[in-house]
Amino acid sequence: MQKMDSVVSQSHGKPVRWSKKTRHNFWLGMAFLAPWSIGFLLFTMYPMGASLIYSFSEYHLRAPLKWIGLTNYINLFQDKLFYTALGNTAYMVVIGVPLTLLLSFFCAILLNLKVPGQSIYRVIYYLPSIVPTIASTMLWLWILNPSSGLMNTLLGLFGIQGPNWLKDPLWAKPSLILLALWGMGGTIIIYLSGLQDVPLSLIEAAQLDGASWWQRLIHITIPMVSPITLFNLITGVIGMFQYFAQAYVFGNTAGSIGSPLNSTLFYSVYLYQTGFLFLKMGYASAMAWILFFIILGCTILLFRVSNRYTYYSG
Amino acid sequence: MGQSALSKPLSAEEFERLHLRQHQWAQIRRTFTQLLSHLLILLVGLFFLIPFLWMLITSFKSDRDVFRTPPTWLPYDNVTVKIQGQELLLYHVQIEGETKELALLKVAEGLGDFVDPQNPEMVYSQVRMRFAEPILKVGLRWRNYIDAMSRATRPGLGVNFWTYFKNSLIIAFFTIIGTLLSNSPVAYAFARINFPGRQAFFIFVLATMMLPYQVTMIPLYLFFNETLHWGDSFLPLIVPAFFANAYDVFLLRQFFKTIPEELADAARVDGASELDIFLRIMLPLSVPVLATVTVFTFLYAWNDFQGPLLYLTSPQNFTMSLGLQDFKGQRIVAWNLLMAASVVFTVPIIIAFFFAQRTFIQGIKLTGLKE
Repeated sequence: MQKMDSVVSQSHGKPVRWSKKTRHNFWLGMAFLAPWSIGFLLFTMYPMGASLIYSFSEYHLRAPLKWIGLTNYINLFQDKLFYTALGNTAYMVVIGVPLTLLLSFFCAILLNLKVPGQSIYRVIYYLPSIVPTIASTMLWLWILNPSSGLMNTLLGLFGIQGPNWLKDPLWAKPSLILLALWGMGGTIIIYLSGLQDVPLSLIEAAQLDGASWWQRLIHITIPMVSPITLFNLITGVIGMFQYFAQAYVFGNTAGSIGSPLNSTLFYSVYLYQTGFLFLKMGYASAMAWILFFIILGCTILLFRVSNRYTYYSG
Repeated sequence: MGQSALSKPLSAEEFERLHLRQHQWAQIRRTFTQLLSHLLILLVGLFFLIPFLWMLITSFKSDRDVFRTPPTWLPYDNVTVKIQGQELLLYHVQIEGETKELALLKVAEGLGDFVDPQNPEMVYSQVRMRFAEPILKVGLRWRNYIDAMSRATRPGLGVNFWTYFKNSLIIAFFTIIGTLLSNSPVAYAFARINFPGRQAFFIFVLATMMLPYQVTMIPLYLFFNETLHWGDSFLPLIVPAFFANAYDVFLLRQFFKTIPEELADAARVDGASELDIFLRIMLPLSVPVLATVTVFTFLYAWNDFQGPLLYLTSPQNFTMSLGLQDFKGQRIVAWNLLMAASVVFTVPIIIAFFFAQRTFIQGIKLTGLKE
């Protein structure tokens, strides 16, 4: 509506001229936005441009930049470790994320039951998620310690010989998924709030029609929380592609970065190793850009696919 | 209600009995489901609770206790005895086929010097330590906390865990200040100032959330380290917080939009400037959301690992995230001290949570969902 009284076409030069009020608002807005705009130019725009240039260059710290075109990208696609890292990350995205969502939803259902002392249970389920990442990683490294750890002791009580969680490349990623599950409280809370938003009238109507608990779950609850599932899925997938701290500490404790046998060499870990330990900054920048496009692609794909399965009550 | 005239009439008594039985049955079923679901909640709850307890229990254990196989549930502590003002550890020592209760004076190369507490003149020197078993009792070893915090794990640098605690606190404090100062005006502009292109600009800001930080990480590192020479200082971690970010802008804007416009209009009539309205009306009314931002920024800064890992190189500047690695020796990890330090690392967050439980939950929902 502001455009209506302010748009005046001119025959030469500037096509649009703003009214005094619009101009005033524009500069006022820009002034209030200054912190973000300056920050964007300095900490996002400039580094993005630089990173793009690095990705086409050979760049070691303290040696001049050398333009090498697409070489970094070509080399990446022939790099075995790149595929290892991609595979490890895919494992976490394909197994870890859906498992977390499924179990979070299950926990949210439990926490939504009318049971005495429920508020205490909610706190218990949530608290692990606010334990600092490194502290919880250390804790789980200790719990999964093969000889004096709690996990294998408890498994032993049931007559199960626990695996060597930290040193066995087959079990390293399940260990990390376990750690992620312990800290899924945030996702549970988001699901719980979604469950509480499901209109009671719908459930009561279904109950009157004789729908069982299971039928209500499948036909009402799950469709009603589907936008939340989509949200959790997308944030979960994006987060998993950038998975770093836990894997870094895990690998370091098991031996060195990526231990055992590169089974915890995730994409971001390999990127860090390439850029900051091997100082191949150009190569690492190329990896970062590929990561960007993978994440972008996954997000678009999830949105596309979800259109069919997500219910919006408007 | 009893006398419905159906083909096979039930006597009032029979009906009553049937009805009662049905009622009881339903009652039993309901109680059973309740019990079952309660049990399930409890069982799953153990998965979240036990690791927590394990962290606490381990933090109170003695060094030897930690590596027991199978581990003990309760923490044990050494029994000590005071001899001539010195606190000494008590041992069961086997000497010439006899088990004696002796206090350890010093130990070197697997040989220990012991003293009899009953008779301090009596010293047994050069006893092989494998004949000595420390005497333990169930007890909380608070000393672990003192050791974990103040023992210099890096000798010669004068650095201990308190240093890391202090550093984490400083970084978190300035990050919070920066976040509050920079995000609120930006969010205000998007919520209230009707400037041309606002919608497009806002979508653009949100779109920056899509960019993984790995893309900007390397040039930023070079910019801070090589251009500005801020390497090994807190500045690369703190300064960006003073330039707003999409998440907090979004969070604050959502809240600002819920505050009635009329308040601002009234002030405008009285000749208040936009800055006045922002500072005197909007901010005081937005304390709850500012609290949310504060709490979440604290969590983020306290938690951050990759930032400190990139920029902080000397132990004097380490945060707790980095410092926890100190307890990892060449071969063994001092798990009891590591867990004590982890508890110290976690406690401020737990305190924050219990003071601002509502704020936490609100924040999760706000960032997550509400349009």
